[in-house]
Amino acid sequence: MSLFFDILAGSLMAAGLIFFVGTVTGMLRFPDFYTRMHAGGKGDTLSTILILLGAAVHVSEDFFHDPIHQWGVLLVMVKILGIAAFLMLTSPTSTHALMRAGFEDAHETDETVVDKDQDGPSLEELQSRTWEERS
Amino acid sequence: MIWQLDLILLIFLVITALISLRVRDLLGASMVFGIYSFLICLLWAGMGAVDVAFTEAAVGAGVSTVILVATVYHTRRVTGGHKRASGMKVLSLLLMLVLGGVLLHASGDFPALGDPTSPANDHPVAQYYIEGSYQDTKVPNLVTSVLADYRGYDTLFETVVVFVAGIGILAVIGVPTARMRREEVCGDTAQFGEDSDLIILQTCRLVVPVLQLFALYVIAHGHHSPGGGFQGGVLFGASYILLALSGGLREALRRLSESMSFRLAACGIVIYAGFGLLCMALGSSFLDYAILDSILPGGVAMARSHSMLIVEAGVGFTVTTILFVIYANLATRGKLEGGL
Repeated sequence: MSLFFDILAGSLMAAGLIFFVGTVTGMLRFPDFYTRMHAGGKGDTLSTILILLGAAVHVSEDFFHDPIHQWGVLLVMVKILGIAAFLMLTSPTSTHALMRAGFEDAHETDETVVDKDQDGPSLEELQSRTWEERS
Repeated sequence: MIWQLDLILLIFLVITALISLRVRDLLGASMVFGIYSFLICLLWAGMGAVDVAFTEAAVGAGVSTVILVATVYHTRRVTGGHKRASGMKVLSLLLMLVLGGVLLHASGDFPALGDPTSPANDHPVAQYYIEGSYQDTKVPNLVTSVLADYRGYDTLFETVVVFVAGIGILAVIGVPTARMRREEVCGDTAQFGEDSDLIILQTCRLVVPVLQLFALYVIAHGHHSPGGGFQGGVLFGASYILLALSGGLREALRRLSESMSFRLAACGIVIYAGFGLLCMALGSSFLDYAILDSILPGGVAMARSHSMLIVEAGVGFTVTTILFVIYANLATRGKLEGGL
C-alpha cells in the first residue's frame, strides 16, 4: 500500500517536472511574445497543479494507514487541493491579462506563426475594434 | 534548515540583486525585486520564522511590487545611462567595500543558528518568554504574545509609523482641489468595471471575497498560527488594491473612500491606545492587559489573550486602510482619478 502511494505521488511530481521542462523550453525557444506566453501560461499551470497533487497524495498516505488517529492529515490535503484550485483560477487569468496587455501594446507576431499575406484583419485593425466586435 | 537549499536560495539572491542593478528598465527592476522578496521569504520560512516570511510574501513580494510599478508608471521608465562613473559613485563604492568587509569580518563572530548558549537564547528574558508565555497568556504562538503583549509599546508605535506613512504620502502628492471633486463623483454609482476585461473581472470577483475572508482569519487566528494584525491587514488592503486594478479605482473608492480610510486608520490606533489607557483607568500601567480580567471573561490569562485579539484588530484596521490609500494616491499622482 505504501509503495502504491509512493509511486503515485512520485509519478505525479515527475510528470509535473516534465511539463515544467516543456514550459521552460517553450519560453526560451518560441519565436514571439504570444507563443511564449502560451507556453508559459499552459505549462506552468498544469505542472504546478500536478506537483501539488503529488504532494497531496503523499500526505494522505498516513490517513489510509491509520484512519482513526491520522485524520488530521486530511486537513493538510484539503489545503493543498485548495491551493491547486486557487492556481487553476488565477494563473490562466494572469496569463490572459499579460496577453491582453501585450496585444494592446501592439506586440508584433512572428511571420513563422501568423501568415501576414492571408486574408483577414491585420493586428492594427483588430486593435482599433471594440471589445465586443472582436469576440 | 537544509544547507543545500539555503545555498541555492542565497546564490539566487545574489544573482537577483546583481540583475536589479544591471537592468535599465525600472519596471523590470521592480519585478526582480519581487523575486528577491520571494527568495528571502523562502529563506525565512526555512529558518522557522514563518510570521516574518508571511509578512515578506505579502508586503515585499505582493503589495510593494504593485506600489513600485504604480510609481514607475508615473515617472521615467528607464534610468539614465551614464557610462562614465562619477566621483560620487567611486566614493560610495569604496565606502560600500569597506562596510561590506567589516560586516563580513563581523559575521565570523556570530553564534551558530539555533545555538542554545548564544546570548539571545541564554538571556533570562528569553527564557521567561519561552517558558512562561503560555501560562501567562494562553497563546500558543509565542510571536503573537511577544508582539502584542510583552512588547506592546513597540507594536503600538509601529502602527503609528504606518499611519504617519499614509499621512506623509498624502502631504507629498495629494491634490486637495481634485479631492473635493472626487467626493462628488463618488456619489453616482458607476457600473462595476464597465470598461474592464470580462475574464479578469469575474476572476477578481471570485477571489476578492475569499481573500478578505482569509485576511480576517489571519487576524483572528494569529494566536494559534502564523499571522496577526499586520499580515491580515496587508491581505485585506491587497484585496482592495486588486479590486482597484480589476474594476477601476473609482469602484474601489466607492466601497472604501479616502476619507473613510483615514477615519478607520485613526480608529485602529485609537482602539490600540485606548485599550492601553483603559488599563491605566482601571489602576494598572499602560497596556498591562492583566488588569482587564475584571471586564473580560475567562480569567487573567484569557483576558490577556482577548486583549491581544482586539489590539491586533486595531492594527489590522490601520494597515488595511493605509495600504489602500498609499496605492490609490501613488497610482493617480494624488488625483484619485483614472489609475493604472
